[in-house]
Amino acid sequence: MNTIKLYFRSMAMLLKSQLQYPASFFMQTLAQLVMEGGEMLAVILIVDRFGRLGQWMPGDLFFFFGMMSVTFYLTEFFGRGVTGNFSSLVRSGQLDTLLLRPRGVLTQVLCSAIDPRRVSCIAVGVAALVIGSGMSKVQWTVLKGLAMAESILLGVLLVLGLFLIEAVFSIHSVKSVELVNALTYGGRSACQYPIDIFPRPLRLIFTVVAPFALTLHVPAAYILGKPLYGWPDWTAFVTPLAGAALFAVMYAVFQRAMRFYRSTGS
Amino acid sequence: MKAYLSVFRMRWRMELQYRGAVVGGIICQVFFGLILVALYRALYQSKPQTMPMESVATYVWLQQAFFRMLLASDADLLDKIRTGAIAYDLCRPLQLYGYYYARILAQKLLGSLLRAAPMLAFASLLPAGWGLHLPASPAGLALALVGLALGLLCVCALENITMGFTMRTLDSRGVQAMLNLMMMTLSGNILPLTLFPDSWQRVITLLPYAQLLDAPIRLYTGQWLPADAPRILMTQLLWTAALVFLGLMLWKRNQQRLVIQGG
Repeated sequence: MNTIKLYFRSMAMLLKSQLQYPASFFMQTLAQLVMEGGEMLAVILIVDRFGRLGQWMPGDLFFFFGMMSVTFYLTEFFGRGVTGNFSSLVRSGQLDTLLLRPRGVLTQVLCSAIDPRRVSCIAVGVAALVIGSGMSKVQWTVLKGLAMAESILLGVLLVLGLFLIEAVFSIHSVKSVELVNALTYGGRSACQYPIDIFPRPLRLIFTVVAPFALTLHVPAAYILGKPLYGWPDWTAFVTPLAGAALFAVMYAVFQRAMRFYRSTGS
Repeated sequence: MKAYLSVFRMRWRMELQYRGAVVGGIICQVFFGLILVALYRALYQSKPQTMPMESVATYVWLQQAFFRMLLASDADLLDKIRTGAIAYDLCRPLQLYGYYYARILAQKLLGSLLRAAPMLAFASLLPAGWGLHLPASPAGLALALVGLALGLLCVCALENITMGFTMRTLDSRGVQAMLNLMMMTLSGNILPLTLFPDSWQRVITLLPYAQLLDAPIRLYTGQWLPADAPRILMTQLLWTAALVFLGLMLWKRNQQRLVIQGG
């Protein structure tokens, strides 16, 4: 409990410090808005030219896009310490200081950074969700609301877990960790579209290795009333657990990797 | 001239130092290419377009391969401006504009050549409709190469202008992000320009952003015939000349009213 209180205290502090330079903060938030708006523009233009994608109508596509951006940027907002630049903590030796304090390393890393600029990306995602559910005429029920909340929450854990892979990589070798970007940013780019349009190998990667399909797409398809692969409704509440599972596994791996941590010195 | 050449050579050698990082980057970029081609293939299955799928796949791979030319990547220079270390560059007996032009050119050229060669080799091994296709004609290929070279000169001039603007504002991250986005969108990296609404294309293809990759790729895939080439190459030349001129003016003014940061 204490840890959670600590996390929110440091979040409040970091937020305050970031708002010290309002003009710069505003410009950067605006830049983020334009950037995510650009991503959404691509979806709009695709819809304009192609009309639909397999069984998915324009509204469905906006909905999938919204699920992904809300999830991904919530993670970047609150988990900046992990999603930002963990490898630079290792390279510069700053990680050593974290080892001296009486708290877990991961807690401290999470407490060390926040990225409130992402609020504009989240706003774009929310707008896409609203537009999408409107266009697809989604009949909202309490259950569907719960499914969405669960999906986004566990999706955040999934993305955090994927960035932990990068962290583990950088602990073991200080060299290039760009490879993991294929799973994190590649996953974001691919899985803002429904999984069933992709060929089998890609589907496998984003179902088994980086289970965006299980965590985000199964519930989203249930909400849209077009169950993925015709799976029964209850799966929409079970499959997102894959995100939590991945996070749990990566958490354990991270703890193990920390035992092998050797400072780079200097 | 000799001085600028050696700046170019030095930068070139520096880029060669980080070969390890390049491999991870290439694999990641290839993966992105595969995702995009898969997406467009799925879209084409729902509703085929006049432009054949092979051309879209080729477009995607060429964009991914020369991705490095798009990114404004001289973080070094941005740091120099922020910390005030740019004062040292001002002491050099060189014209600042040419000095940075050579740096940026070397970085973009080598950065992308190192990546493009293995990526294009891989992409040409993929099955038809997935990978890189042969150019429409030998003349098309030759003109595409000329177009790429001109486009590169044009984009370096463009980046030099944004660098010049960076000198005027301290925290350039907002502006930089915005310019990067314009670059990515309007050069066809996020979505091929050929898939933009037709009425938009008429305007977008005339902008400097489209000169770097979009124009040469269209020459390569044969969407623009060699007969169109004079018009395209002229557009590129005009933009390059205009942007270099603007950049020179901007840097000159910057030096006249210079405030160095830091201490």
